[in-house]
Amino acid sequence: MTAVLERDTTFDTRFATEPYEVAWAGEARWFVHHVGGDGTATYLTQVSPDGITWCDLDATEHRVGPGQLISWPVSGFGHWLRLRAKVDGSVQVRIHLAVKA
Amino acid sequence: MTTSDVRSALLAADPRLSKFSPLPRILAFDEFDSGTHGWCELLGNYNGRGDLSTVDDHMRDFRPPQLSACNFFDIGTHGALSGTYALKLATRPHKGHTAVAIRRLTMSGRGLVQLETYFAFKSEATLGGGSELDTFGDVQWDGNTHPSEAQFGAFTVATDLCGDGGLRYHTVARYQNTDMDNHFTRRWMAPTVPEPTPREHFEGKVKLEYAADFTAPNPEDWQQFGEPQELCYNEVPTKVNWHYLRWVVDTEKRRNVELQVNDRVMDMSDVPVPPYEERYETLENLLNFYFSVRTHSNVRNFLFLDSVLISVDW
Repeated sequence: MTAVLERDTTFDTRFATEPYEVAWAGEARWFVHHVGGDGTATYLTQVSPDGITWCDLDATEHRVGPGQLISWPVSGFGHWLRLRAKVDGSVQVRIHLAVKA
Repeated sequence: MTTSDVRSALLAADPRLSKFSPLPRILAFDEFDSGTHGWCELLGNYNGRGDLSTVDDHMRDFRPPQLSACNFFDIGTHGALSGTYALKLATRPHKGHTAVAIRRLTMSGRGLVQLETYFAFKSEATLGGGSELDTFGDVQWDGNTHPSEAQFGAFTVATDLCGDGGLRYHTVARYQNTDMDNHFTRRWMAPTVPEPTPREHFEGKVKLEYAADFTAPNPEDWQQFGEPQELCYNEVPTKVNWHYLRWVVDTEKRRNVELQVNDRVMDMSDVPVPPYEERYETLENLLNFYFSVRTHSNVRNFLFLDSVLISVDW
């Protein structure tokens, strides 16, 4: 399944995506596309035991610049996934999460 | 033994189907333990270049439905009625925000259309904070009643139907748990006007803001039907009790018929079905169903669907 967690949303400060349940999935991959804005953002994958309380899955930051589409796989997650982002400037973001059983 | 007897016996002997009362022809049987079965996010229309900034603000963020094991902070996995997973519609924690899942079919006939589902509705649990969070709306935590219940706004089941030369209309049934001031109303409602469409915005007639009520934005355009009904929220935000809902409309007469929710059957034959004045192209025999959930607080609201069965008499 593919979920579009942000659809061309503009951010100029740090943000996190809405919680998404992936209990049924064994694989996941983020696609983060900066479709507008001249800023950059760095993203970290977060996991949660309950969809309310979150921690980083790992220490790998993914930097996305203007116009870029960046993708990375996620493994070893629990039943929830989200991204947190630090934004420098203004970014317009499209975020897909692709998950498979 | 008649054909009807055999059919009844087969339905009764099947534990997956015997909890439903389908009309003669089953169009869809969606047990969400095995996937989303075509229930997807609703998104407003956009221009010929895929420019999503042309999507109406009030229809651009209806959120993707999720396959949920009903996981909670306090007990872990709750699970669904028919298996582990249910379809979950989740709003943002933003007052007025709506999540919508839609299923798209077309009609090969006219007559009765019935949608059945087992559903549950919850607000997201609140963790932390001070004792002021023990009160919300009409509720003061007393060991049983829980403020979470007053944080749930409304859920809706509806259709989008079109045929017979582009005549388009919706049938709608909404359970309003609270008003926008978070006071319990616990009533069934339907709109007296058709849903605003992207064309009306395109033509400059209507411009709705983010988190407007897309089904009918003006509260005065809704009217109650039936009597108020208390459902089984079950106190805290992490107990999931499944409710039965059966809803019948008539596409031959373009009318509502009735709504059953648990032990209550409501006659909907007098509930208006306002058609659009103008005719629509590319929608011939449109048969869409949607569920939505709208929060009236700054707390995420969830609508869980265990399964849906759609059947017809044609």
